[in-house]
Amino acid sequence: MYWKYVIKRVINGIIIYIILIFIFSALFNMQMEQTVRAMIDEKVKGEVMAQSTSGKWTPEQLMHWSKDRKTYYYELYNLNKPVFERIVSRTVDTLLFRYGKSTIIKSSFGERDVVKIIFETVPRTLLLFGTAAIIDVLLGTLIGIKKAQKPGKPFDKGTSIATMVVYGMPSWWLGMLMIMFFVYIVKVFPSGGMHSTPPPTGFMYHLDTLWHLTLPVLTLVIIGFWGRAFLIRNIVLGVLQDDYIMSARARGIPERKVLFGHALRTAAPPIITMALLSLLVSVSGGILFESIFSWSGMGNLYWISVEQSDIPVLMGDLSFTTGLYICGLVILALIYGFLDPRIKVSGKA
Amino acid sequence: MVAERARENKRVLEVKNLKLHYLTSQGAVKAVDDISFCLNRGETLGIVGESGCGKTTTAVALMMMPSPPGKIVGGQIIIEGKDIVPMTETQIRKQIRWEKISMVFQGAMNCLTPVYTIGKQMMETLREHREMAKEEAIARIEKYLAYVGLSRDVLKRYPHELSGGMKQRIVIAMALFLEPKIILCDEPTTALDVVVQAQIINLLKDLKQQLDLSFIFITHDLATEAEVSDRLMVMYGGKIAEIGTNEQIYGKQGPMHPYTQRLLKATPLLHEKVEELAFIPGRPPDLLNPPKGCKFHDRCNVVMDRCKEEEPDLREVEPDHFVSCWRCRES
Amino acid sequence: MKLKDLKVSISEFWQEFRKVKSGLVGLAIFGFFLALLIFEPVLAPFSETNTRWRDISYWDDNPQSAYPIWVNFFSAKKYAESTLLENPEVKEEVFGTNRMVTYTFEYDYQYDIAPADLILKVEGSGVAMMDLTFTRPDGESVLLASSNLNMAEGGVNRISVDKGSKTEAYEFLGYFESRDNLRKFQRSSIKPAAILFAKAQENMLIEPEALKGKYTMQAALLLQRPSDIVRDVKLVIPGRVFGLLGTDAFKRDLFSGVLAGIKWALLIGLLTAVVSVMVGVIYGVISAYLGGWKDSLMQRIFEIFNSIPLLPVLIVMSAIFKPSIWNLILIMCIFYWTGSVKTVRSMGLQIKEETFIEATRALGASNFRIIFKHIIPLIIPYSFASMALFIPGAIVYEASISLLGLGDATIVTWGQILRDAYTGGAVINGLWWWVIPPGLMIAIMGMSFAFIGFALDKILHPKLRTR
Repeated sequence: MYWKYVIKRVINGIIIYIILIFIFSALFNMQMEQTVRAMIDEKVKGEVMAQSTSGKWTPEQLMHWSKDRKTYYYELYNLNKPVFERIVSRTVDTLLFRYGKSTIIKSSFGERDVVKIIFETVPRTLLLFGTAAIIDVLLGTLIGIKKAQKPGKPFDKGTSIATMVVYGMPSWWLGMLMIMFFVYIVKVFPSGGMHSTPPPTGFMYHLDTLWHLTLPVLTLVIIGFWGRAFLIRNIVLGVLQDDYIMSARARGIPERKVLFGHALRTAAPPIITMALLSLLVSVSGGILFESIFSWSGMGNLYWISVEQSDIPVLMGDLSFTTGLYICGLVILALIYGFLDPRIKVSGKA
Repeated sequence: MVAERARENKRVLEVKNLKLHYLTSQGAVKAVDDISFCLNRGETLGIVGESGCGKTTTAVALMMMPSPPGKIVGGQIIIEGKDIVPMTETQIRKQIRWEKISMVFQGAMNCLTPVYTIGKQMMETLREHREMAKEEAIARIEKYLAYVGLSRDVLKRYPHELSGGMKQRIVIAMALFLEPKIILCDEPTTALDVVVQAQIINLLKDLKQQLDLSFIFITHDLATEAEVSDRLMVMYGGKIAEIGTNEQIYGKQGPMHPYTQRLLKATPLLHEKVEELAFIPGRPPDLLNPPKGCKFHDRCNVVMDRCKEEEPDLREVEPDHFVSCWRCRES
Repeated sequence: MKLKDLKVSISEFWQEFRKVKSGLVGLAIFGFFLALLIFEPVLAPFSETNTRWRDISYWDDNPQSAYPIWVNFFSAKKYAESTLLENPEVKEEVFGTNRMVTYTFEYDYQYDIAPADLILKVEGSGVAMMDLTFTRPDGESVLLASSNLNMAEGGVNRISVDKGSKTEAYEFLGYFESRDNLRKFQRSSIKPAAILFAKAQENMLIEPEALKGKYTMQAALLLQRPSDIVRDVKLVIPGRVFGLLGTDAFKRDLFSGVLAGIKWALLIGLLTAVVSVMVGVIYGVISAYLGGWKDSLMQRIFEIFNSIPLLPVLIVMSAIFKPSIWNLILIMCIFYWTGSVKTVRSMGLQIKEETFIEATRALGASNFRIIFKHIIPLIIPYSFASMALFIPGAIVYEASISLLGLGDATIVTWGQILRDAYTGGAVINGLWWWVIPPGLMIAIMGMSFAFIGFALDKILHPKLRTR
């Protein structure tokens, strides 16, 4: 029953992913090809250089030969086929994770494989945003429930105001302020990056990472957790007004169990949905935030690839981020279905 | 004196001058305003009235669970000789609720938590009140499921998988299995279809006999009430209009309070020709600013001048028959 | 809807809205921004900010990276304020065919921390030989410059002491400072103004003590030909504090900049939010109303748009197409409209089932009419709440794009100011007045719309009311 639901959602996600990659490939086809063309030109120039120094050929022959080489390469990279075919083949390549080689950027091991470059950065992004998200949700749940218990009272109102105050605050700006204050004025935290240079070994390595992690996570939590608490409060409040809550209380179930058992459990699907959704959004939108903290995650990589016009890495990162985002949406739907027995048992959405 | 004492011992519940008001920013809504009644052992007391007359609020008050901004602002609720109104929440939760008095809810639709299985909810309730080994608990649960005619399969299910009738039975079983003295039934059959209704009513009657229980049965359906109740209490505008035995109200003599009379008249009989549907014109009173005098006076067809000024109190006009009406006092 | 009905529902709505305090606060802040916007021409000290933000010459007379003026309130040592001295004492002496015009400026210096520079501005035409003498209250005089001025008609000659008198200041320093201290610093790194205003004593380079009192700056200009004329001479003293919000590293008055940004923030936020929500509402209602395969198709399209991570795509599109602000708004709308569709659609589905819709259809109303005249008006109140809550997000997106340098550099937005701050080292150098105000404005504007939006939301979802 539930499996039907799972399969439907997964296939849906895959189809959307394919369509999006196709659109991206079409949109950025020109850019990608510019890079390839430039690369080919350079290559051929190099070859011509090599040939001309040997002194065997006349200038006309060299020109002819360079044209031939260009045609050869164009064929190799499919540049001579009609536009549509090129887009399709690029789509296929991207879907199969054949991202090619980067133009400038190298991985920390000096490799140029785009796939490797990207995959390196993924765990770092997840470390940063994942940690922040977990703390966010935990704190938000505690505070949100407290708010829902005494709605309309000062605690509730006060925290709601805090929510609205940070609603429009860019996380990267707060990051800038935090860095300015805690790194340069009151020198407590490091200015960025994941590790000190040179990174310490053993246990200290992890402590060092933690030290670097603190300021960005703190920034994220300060901004994020109010919204979390507010949403949780609304969800829990809605649930608390349902009849089965009164019924549970009437049966003599202690308030703690009613709140954290019956109410929270029922509210869990929308809460987790919302938490995951915000995690997704922050991961995919974390480009500026990571850059400010020089945190070499996916977002930072994305920005660097834009600055350096390293199109293969850019496309790869974009595709990967989109894929991750869609994955997240699918997993979200699956978790919701799992937690809500009404869906789990009937298999319907 | 002795008769009085004997009568008192038969009472499982006594309510004296109970007041439950909702304290809103615009003032106090007097949902239940100074009512007094009692429940005898082994009997079913029915509470009837229109929507908003205070029946459900009374039940909620008896469970000491007024929803904010509601508050019990006066009166006594005496169960087994002890007044529970001044008790603390913890005391009530541990000793009174579900132990001495339990509730079968209105609209079993939504009173079971959707994310827990039936079994879990029943176990949780049982073990909250009794120290029991798991096997013992299951045995007790199954015993009561059997009483209501359900098998143990139902324990593995989630509420949304069950029909309305099944859910109602489960709720009844849960209300019974701690063997409390008083069971409140708040419109237990309202949301069900007629066939299931009949089943549930028969079930309740059987159970009352078998287990020697005392019920308070709240409904707005007079026909059901007639089937089930031994005594009847009619509420209007947060007050009691009339209390009497089944015979006194439904019998040949008929009720005495004008409101009750018209209520009965408004129910068309199956075997009588109905030319026109009788109804009571007007609307129930505003409980925030109730009218002076008798709450019913603006809709009463035999209203007197005194009714508009003074509020009548509940007076015994025959043995076990109480009415609060000036006109009834005359005769 | 008739005008009368509209008026009634607006006043009803306002009654409800008035009850929510936070909404009123939000509205008040919004009103404040609006007022600032309207009065910008009057309030902004630099009226050509919008057009000449990137024109260095416009800002040249300001100090660089100066604190806001009110910093002096809080610090024990007072920073020199920026001053313009305009009416010097003029003395003209004639020696045959030569004219010697002397302009004398008096400056009463009572601060603890010296100004950044002294700039003499001469307007005239022809050639003049100039001697610039600086006299201190302690009697010491320094010849800051002795040179020829070539004055172009209609132009202004700027003589900056900070740039042009380093040697002279260093010499002056040499009379009083110890050898050790002098050795510690390179000649090119000293700040002439700081020396000129410091007590002449040892350690004046490292720990200058302010010499307070009356200073004079005298510009003696020798004009030899009749065509050599001097029209006006001014002395600009860029201090260490300037304006309500200080200046940035490019000498731009941040208060003017921040004021200029208001209109763009409001434009971007409101336009994007209103258009996106309107499109979303129409899309959602049509999808719900049509039902069947059309609904499914529209939902699929919606899902595709919804699965696009907004910021990365926005960045790439900005990098490739280098949009102007209008194109940026357009692109944002293209992705933003999905935000409200889900809720609108479920509302639409509910309304569709209402009997009055059936009745209207039975009366022969066309689909178009039903959708636009009956269903959408019911959803509009909800959409207001949506719009208000979308605005902060839109403003932040533009700021993000600008921060990365991909925004429209021809206009002054808060994001642009922040970009300059970030690349200009404001964070590293602790120039808090550069970083905080623009971001704070974004946050405050966001906050005001959040207040308004949540208040609207509360009114429309009474279940969550807690009176």
